Amino acid sequence: MTTISPQRAEISSLPRGTGTRATRIIGIATIVMIAWLALFGLVLSPADRDQGDSVRIMYVHVPSVWLAYLAFIVTAVCSAIHLFGKRHSLGVDRIAGASAEIGVVFMAVTLATGMLWGRITWGVYWQWDARLTTTALLFVSYIGYLAVRGLDGTQQQRARRSAVIGLLVVLEIPLVHWSVRLWRSLHQEATVLGTDLDVSLDGLMLFSLFVGVIAFTLLFLWLVLHRSRTLTMIDLVGDRELDRAVIARRAEGGIDHA
Amino acid sequence: MALSDGPDLTPSPPSVGGRRPRRRIMPMVVLALVLVSGGVIITQALSTAVDYYCNVDEVGVRSGCDEGRRLRLQGTVAEGSVVTGTAATMFDIEFNGESVPVEYEGEPGGIFRECLPVVVHGVFDQSTGLFLGDRVEVKHSEEYVAVNDERLTEAEAMACQPSA
Repeated sequence: MTTISPQRAEISSLPRGTGTRATRIIGIATIVMIAWLALFGLVLSPADRDQGDSVRIMYVHVPSVWLAYLAFIVTAVCSAIHLFGKRHSLGVDRIAGASAEIGVVFMAVTLATGMLWGRITWGVYWQWDARLTTTALLFVSYIGYLAVRGLDGTQQQRARRSAVIGLLVVLEIPLVHWSVRLWRSLHQEATVLGTDLDVSLDGLMLFSLFVGVIAFTLLFLWLVLHRSRTLTMIDLVGDRELDRAVIARRAEGGIDHA
Repeated sequence: MALSDGPDLTPSPPSVGGRRPRRRIMPMVVLALVLVSGGVIITQALSTAVDYYCNVDEVGVRSGCDEGRRLRLQGTVAEGSVVTGTAATMFDIEFNGESVPVEYEGEPGGIFRECLPVVVHGVFDQSTGLFLGDRVEVKHSEEYVAVNDERLTEAEAMACQPSA
């Protein structure tokens, strides 16, 4: 019988990627829910009286914007934990960064699907009404957040700067959400999350939308776990390169660091 | 090794032929682009005002909805009023009991039909009182109704419903 030395056992047990048991379970659940979404969104749910089949765009449009809002709120919460926590944890900063990246991608999906729907229903891709304009501003703000994360500086500097911005730009979300109530816009008001409790939505349409929201929430969890682990690895590689550069500099200067 | 005791502050002698510190340009470029596009978005929004449209009954009543200026007019396409000519489409839009005749050059896009609320961009012809539209957008409501909803008869589905 061979015995494995403790060190070897430790090395072989290290994860080879960013996947874990939890992410694999979430991943499978996501695939199952997306299959359900396709079934309900494309087959089982009815066409709309006025919009026809283009109403099906809603089953991607609304869950995407939900995911983006969720991602930006996670970014804000992590930013607050980083800034006001005693440890000033870099771990939560990386979750904030990962979450914002995912949010930006899904904000783009929201804009793209919305423009396609608008072309079919309104007759135009884009108009500078209150909802569309504030949404564009939100999208651009988070691209700015990501740009700030890419600036020169230490990891702590990056975390602090971006946390401040992350807490500021999240304030645009209520503005976007209520823009359709505050001002007259071309975009319709919220159907499900409106202020009146009377939901003017066909039963199967509402259920399809619900499936979409669950599917996209799981997708967000899966993406944010993988991406924040990837960002941790990138930071570790950065640290290692810095160590190496310091050693090289010392060697050039002939300093013995024994 | 002193590495684990925080940053090493001993000055290192100038290196010979060492690499210049890499200045990252991309984030700066992206940041500048973001600021510029943010500015463009805000000015675009202000140039078309924050409220997207005037309702038909507000012409000459509400500030910013004066008859002489270019307007975006919101109303429901009146039942049976749509006349498609060779060059123009004529229809009436109504809101809150008031009605305005519209002449639109061409065929409206989107899901345009009677009984749906629309936003027409254009100006009033001062002599005839006709609203000359150059763009029509269908303003979809937040209501979603299945096409084959058995609770609605065909006639009910096609008739103009009072807007909520």
